[in-house]
Amino acid sequence: MPLINLPAFAADLLADFERLGTLRVDTPVIQPAEPFLDMAGEDLRRRIFLTQSETGENLCLRPEFTIPVCMRHIETATGTPKRYSYLGEVFRQRREGGSEFYQAGIEDLGTRDAASADARAVADAVTILGRLLPERPFAVTMGDQAMFEAVVAALGLPGGWQKRLIRAFGEQTQLEALMLRLAKPEQVAGLGAEVEALLAKGDEQGLVAHIDGVMEATGYLTNASRSPKEIAFRLKEKLALAGTSLDPGKLDVLREFLSLDVSLRYAPGVLADFAKSTGLPLQAAVDRFDARVAAFTAAGVKLADITWRAAFGRPLDYYTGLVFEVTLRNDHRVLAGGGRYDGMLTLLGAEENIPAVGFSLWLDRIEAVRGEH
Amino acid sequence: MITIALPSKGRMKDDASAIFEKAGLKIVAVGNDRSYRGRVEGLDDVEIAFLSASEISREIGSGSIDFGVTGEDLIREGLSEADARVEFCARLGFGHADVVVAVPEIWLDVDTMADLGDVAADFRARHGRRLAIATKYWRLTQQFFSSQHGIQLYRIVESLGATEGAPASGSADIIVDITSTGSTLKANHLKILSDGIILRSQACLVRARKAEHTGDPLVAKIIDAVNGALA
Repeated sequence: MPLINLPAFAADLLADFERLGTLRVDTPVIQPAEPFLDMAGEDLRRRIFLTQSETGENLCLRPEFTIPVCMRHIETATGTPKRYSYLGEVFRQRREGGSEFYQAGIEDLGTRDAASADARAVADAVTILGRLLPERPFAVTMGDQAMFEAVVAALGLPGGWQKRLIRAFGEQTQLEALMLRLAKPEQVAGLGAEVEALLAKGDEQGLVAHIDGVMEATGYLTNASRSPKEIAFRLKEKLALAGTSLDPGKLDVLREFLSLDVSLRYAPGVLADFAKSTGLPLQAAVDRFDARVAAFTAAGVKLADITWRAAFGRPLDYYTGLVFEVTLRNDHRVLAGGGRYDGMLTLLGAEENIPAVGFSLWLDRIEAVRGEH
Repeated sequence: MITIALPSKGRMKDDASAIFEKAGLKIVAVGNDRSYRGRVEGLDDVEIAFLSASEISREIGSGSIDFGVTGEDLIREGLSEADARVEFCARLGFGHADVVVAVPEIWLDVDTMADLGDVAADFRARHGRRLAIATKYWRLTQQFFSSQHGIQLYRIVESLGATEGAPASGSADIIVDITSTGSTLKANHLKILSDGIILRSQACLVRARKAEHTGDPLVAKIIDAVNGALA
């Protein structure tokens, strides 16, 4: 059945997708809910429309396209690289706006040159928006998880602490709490004499045997959830993490990094100064950052329109690098958003690692802005 | 007419009736004493409905009753934006129970929500699935884990009873459940995380926020009387 409520500019958009050499795909409106909840977490449950099949399978109305497009790619196994485009309805419970609306976008799967693929995603988003909203000034905000990870690694923190900080990236209050905690070491108490003796002796096997014995005695299966070995291993790691603190100087460095908020024109210089003044070994990450900036220029993106905010990120484990949002200048409505999600396809079951970057366009907001003009 | 819903059975019913009587609002059943309707002696404009505690939370949310006595946990779990929709007029000092995060005692390395965050983040890589939480408190769990502790990656396994048995049986890794003395948790070799108390709940007198309550002397009288009985 042809849809008669499509945005008026849908045909222009599809022509753009074709001109950009993408393969248009469609996915069913009714989707298995598990992949969405698995990827985005339980928080999503309140925002999607869930139902159950007769056999008890959780189903939902398609809340977005990236996961279905990726799953379709894995199922059809047609190889990479592929650039898919989509245009269709998505369904979400929102505070503002209706709960069914159109989204369109491009997902670029398997392009190995990350810098050019990132640049192409931003360039495509800005170009398409420019054609839909001519003569309107855009502002792009950009973040980079990889740069944050490099700074955290360069501070010389243990792996567990790096992971904690990276997990909180994009959540300023969580990050602040972690940095406060990092200012001083903590005590771990209440483990009991037997466990403390085993730890003091460094008797890992003894510790595993002890945990195994307790699980056996208390009726816990040792293979259904966390194993004795896993618990013993993390207990050792936890003691190391608890004993860790960062000197105030290094915490200041981290805070200084997170406060960076500059036009992308000046970002390479600012980053170089930051690396030099702090003495952190960031060369490889800065090189990758600079390569992306060069790729932006080559792709025809105006650097003056882009602001790089060091603290801008998304706290989900499949986002790995670039994130970006496009708004009108001096307007908060996000018209397009996207990023690099190299972790997603393997999480969804792909056998090989497939780098991925993409963006989606909020057609209802674009339509509203067009109406205001 | 003002409708007050009270728990229809058990200790909660007796304790609620006792407080109302002490407040000078003696409740008498209409018909026999197993009836689901009642009235307040001397107050013709008040009717009493005896409902189950979870029904009370739902009815107060929809505004079909004016006041209710029920657990804070049921209100906060049952209603989104509870504070905008109901007023907690009085905490009644009975029906104490905490909604807590509990993990197997043998998880020696997990004592705080931060520890649990570490475990949840690595869970998928180690076990091929997300950390599973058995609970009937979906909303409270999501708010506590996501908003307060920044833990996004876990899955809720719905539990309709005997939640505390889920970790031992392998149907979930940890639980979010209600406990009053902690003895059931202990018997199932579970421990409460040191910062894992989501809500200290007790029975409350709650009022649906309705415009017509403004300036109604009867509404004010009921709130004052119950608070007076607690003083």
